[in-house]
Amino acid sequence: MEIKKTLNGNELLVAVEGRLDTTTAPQLEENVRSSIDGMKSLVFDFEKLEYISSAGLRVLLAMQKIMNKQGSMTIRNVNETVMEVFEVTGFVDILTIE
Amino acid sequence: MSMIRVENISKSFGSLEVLKDVSLTVEKGERIVIIGESGGGKSVFLRSMDLLEVPDKGSIYIGDDELTSPKADLNRIRRRVGFVYQGFHLFSHLCVLDNITLAPIRLLKMKRAEAEEKALKLLRMVGLESKKYAMPDVLSGGQKQRIAIVRSLIMEPEVMLFDEPTSALDPTMVGEVLATLRLLAKSGMTMVIVTHEMSFAREIATRILYMDEKGIYEEGTPQEIFDNPKRKKTRDFIHKMKYLSYKIDSRSFDLMQLQGSIRDFASKYGIGEKKAYRLQLCTEELIYEMLDYGKSDCVDMSLELSFDEKEKSSLIRLSSKGVEYNPFEKACDGLGDGIHGKADVSVGGDDMVHLGITILKNTARRIGYRYDAGNRENLFEIEI
Repeated sequence: MEIKKTLNGNELLVAVEGRLDTTTAPQLEENVRSSIDGMKSLVFDFEKLEYISSAGLRVLLAMQKIMNKQGSMTIRNVNETVMEVFEVTGFVDILTIE
Repeated sequence: MSMIRVENISKSFGSLEVLKDVSLTVEKGERIVIIGESGGGKSVFLRSMDLLEVPDKGSIYIGDDELTSPKADLNRIRRRVGFVYQGFHLFSHLCVLDNITLAPIRLLKMKRAEAEEKALKLLRMVGLESKKYAMPDVLSGGQKQRIAIVRSLIMEPEVMLFDEPTSALDPTMVGEVLATLRLLAKSGMTMVIVTHEMSFAREIATRILYMDEKGIYEEGTPQEIFDNPKRKKTRDFIHKMKYLSYKIDSRSFDLMQLQGSIRDFASKYGIGEKKAYRLQLCTEELIYEMLDYGKSDCVDMSLELSFDEKEKSSLIRLSSKGVEYNPFEKACDGLGDGIHGKADVSVGGDDMVHLGITILKNTARRIGYRYDAGNRENLFEIEI
């Protein structure tokens, strides 16, 4: 998995490439947590995300909890297979997906 | 008269004997698929049929021409046989049309116009007419292999030999080459194919040869070999081909390697991308559910994946040793069906803990669970 972070004022854009599974999810969590302080907007770009499992979803939910207190969180460019996981878990209802 | 007759051939490379006293008769219209472990002599045997490997002893006949005779006119006899290699071997400095027409113009003394007309007809057949002036370098692997097949066909061979024609291809391109082979099979072409594509072998072959122990270890119809192999090594090989087995004995097992194996398994059986994703997802979720909540003192899991070609469904079987723990308890009773429903994933919701189980319940076609108290084994069957 590759993580590319772009800081734009108080917006943090995180582009995730590859697989977000039990092995890689802690890496994403640690990486985003370290940059999220004071951010008003957190945007995940999943254009190149090929795979997500519940371990990845947990990270998203943890980030959502943080952003609920300090701003907003959006997920962009979700592919069909990743979207299916959001749908079967009900995550479509709690995440803002563009 | 038989198309190919191989009589008692043997072949060694230095001290390594690869083939010992192997015989085979291929009748007109037969489609023989050769399967077996890598290094089992499949390719050497196939290449011998065109004398690309010269046997140390024995005879090979194409029709009534003896290929192994010292007086044999090899060029003339070889024209009766088309050979398609793993690695295409197109001439990179010639365009597609020239690659195809080179042999008929030079060897059969065919007029260029006639050769081109014939080439175009064959290119149309494999759906590549628009690439007639393309150079090989700009073609995909699948396109190159279809061109290589056309290049053989233009010589009007009586029999075609294929040496792992899809193994050098990206998985996404295997289908187009197999489709071309199916077309040939439909036209009644006599074919001998070495391949690792098991579902294709089952579908296309009139006879399957399993090679091991320096020869044809077992042969039979696809049903006989795939569903009811008689001899031990065939059984072991077919089992390995049909099932992906994986042992997990530590929490820090290599998930990436396992997922890679599942992707390879899926591509071998032509399992679509979506289903391959679900297979990886359900496998990961079930394993970690048991690792995290299975309450076992030591990790001892066996995973087995299989694919039912008739039902087009995949089955994940997981055995996890330890105390009884059924994460689907509320949803399924014994070997019943999983009940679908979404998890309470509201921020702070309870189901976050067992999110993987929610995924499994909503992704699987069927979920089965039972506990084998005698062996202290939790047994799962997840159908995707």
